[in-house]
Amino acid sequence: MNREPDVDAPPVVVVKGLVKTFVQSGAWPWSESRDVHAVRGVDFTIAPGEVVALVGQSGSGKTTVSRIVLGLEEPTDGEVWLDGQRWDGLSEAERRPKRVNYQYVPQDAMGALDPQQTALEHVVETLTVLGGRAADDAQREAVSMLENLGLGQRLHALPREMSGGEQRRVTLARVLALNPRLVVADEPTSGLDPDRRESVLQDLIGNLPEGAGCILVTHDMSEARAWCHRIFAMLAGRIIEEVDLRAAEPVHPYARILFDPWSGPLPTQPLATAGCPFRPDCPKAEEVEGDRCGADEPSLSPADPRTHRVACHAVKS
Amino acid sequence: MSDQTPLVVMDGLTIKAPTRTLVDGVSFEIHGGRVTALVGPSGAGKSLTARAAMCVLDVDPGLVAGTLRFPALDPAVDWYEGVRGGGMSAQRKLLARTRHLRGAYFAYSPQAASSALNPGRTIGRQLAMAIGRRQTPPNDLSAEIRRILGQVGLQPWASGALPGELSGGMAQRAALAVAVAPKPRLVIADEPETGLDPVLRRAVVELLVRVCKEEGAGLLLISHHKDTVRRIADDVIQLKGQHGETGGTA
Repeated sequence: MNREPDVDAPPVVVVKGLVKTFVQSGAWPWSESRDVHAVRGVDFTIAPGEVVALVGQSGSGKTTVSRIVLGLEEPTDGEVWLDGQRWDGLSEAERRPKRVNYQYVPQDAMGALDPQQTALEHVVETLTVLGGRAADDAQREAVSMLENLGLGQRLHALPREMSGGEQRRVTLARVLALNPRLVVADEPTSGLDPDRRESVLQDLIGNLPEGAGCILVTHDMSEARAWCHRIFAMLAGRIIEEVDLRAAEPVHPYARILFDPWSGPLPTQPLATAGCPFRPDCPKAEEVEGDRCGADEPSLSPADPRTHRVACHAVKS
Repeated sequence: MSDQTPLVVMDGLTIKAPTRTLVDGVSFEIHGGRVTALVGPSGAGKSLTARAAMCVLDVDPGLVAGTLRFPALDPAVDWYEGVRGGGMSAQRKLLARTRHLRGAYFAYSPQAASSALNPGRTIGRQLAMAIGRRQTPPNDLSAEIRRILGQVGLQPWASGALPGELSGGMAQRAALAVAVAPKPRLVIADEPETGLDPVLRRAVVELLVRVCKEEGAGLLLISHHKDTVRRIADDVIQLKGQHGETGGTA
């Protein structure tokens, strides 16, 4: 990874106090519905050129956060700013012309491709329809992007004629050719073998446009470690630790389990609904005076705001 | 608690596709009560090898060399006798000849619980059918169903539930219960960790290992997570592109 984030430039993404509550209806029309608190107060910024990983267990809110950032979901509360402009609360007509800058890499490559279009047609269509290029410019740019990704010999292949890795590279070419400011990739390597994962990430992160930000949602901690500047670890709809792994190691007791699940006992208790969600299983809670962990949910402490922030009473005290 | 007689002895397994060799001379033994990990780079033939050990072969010309014995069942029989070089028709006959072994001698623990369970039958009914594959049926079927549900950490009420009424994690436990209910000698799990978060990954593998050990079954685990293999495998079968070899680890 030889990209470096430009931390002094205005950030690509600013998220403030993000909250998302879904209403889950009951089994019957007369059953009571209940609120599901998917995201409960998330703040972060992403600098130009920065790659961040969003990690956490299933249901921790990773996908919801990334969908809100792209404007595919409206937040219940909070603000999203992209390139200094307010992004949440816009109508689709207002967002549409800007969407070209903020792109999404899907998990299921085969499902995202048109079975009747060749690799080249996919990229050309994206460039003319979304990117507004003239036909011959689109053709030239598409060929050069596909060649960059090693698909120069496969321009006229249909999705079913391509390997899984090649299909994924077509979805990457389509996104990267638009020269986006932000790429959100939701588990782009899920289901691939370890050696293919490496090359998909190399293709994605190695070809990001200068100054673009990237959010990588992943379950693979070694990927996050190898490819991302900062890691945001999520638990129960909040970020509990933000860490630059080149400068520090995770210290939150839950984040440590997430990073090395074999290092100690697995959590067994349900998450607490008041105070720190990890309180029932936390080995450090006893070190904290009184019952602060049970009474008051810790927020991210800005000890070293650029490289490391932790939401844990035991770490702060 | 390692069994002296191996469950599976594979010697020189070689599987060919029309233009290339998919598995080239792989030999290994699998023992009861132990965890055997099957590892190797993509395309090394991990799934093919595991399926070949269950006598499921579906490539043409397929099996060209190798012997397969199940000494715990009958040390004299080479199950690949007459199949080597016989192409698809011989492999289909082998599949039919060994049908009674799958689900009884071996159980296959699938990657996705949703594909393993019948959506229209209650968990209890599916368990009853799986238990029915045993050579000696239990005296009290409903007590046995409750016992197996307890093994995988499910409450007795799950017996009356349809798969769709269970959460994802519970359905996965139920699928494991169905796999071990016939009291198989060997459980084969093909990448049970795919798509799971790191914490769940460990929980699923530990559950699989515990249930297999308690039910006295061996476990053949295909995995590409080094952590998992290092922590739980008793034996490792390493496939290296074209050449397989066995080696024991702690």
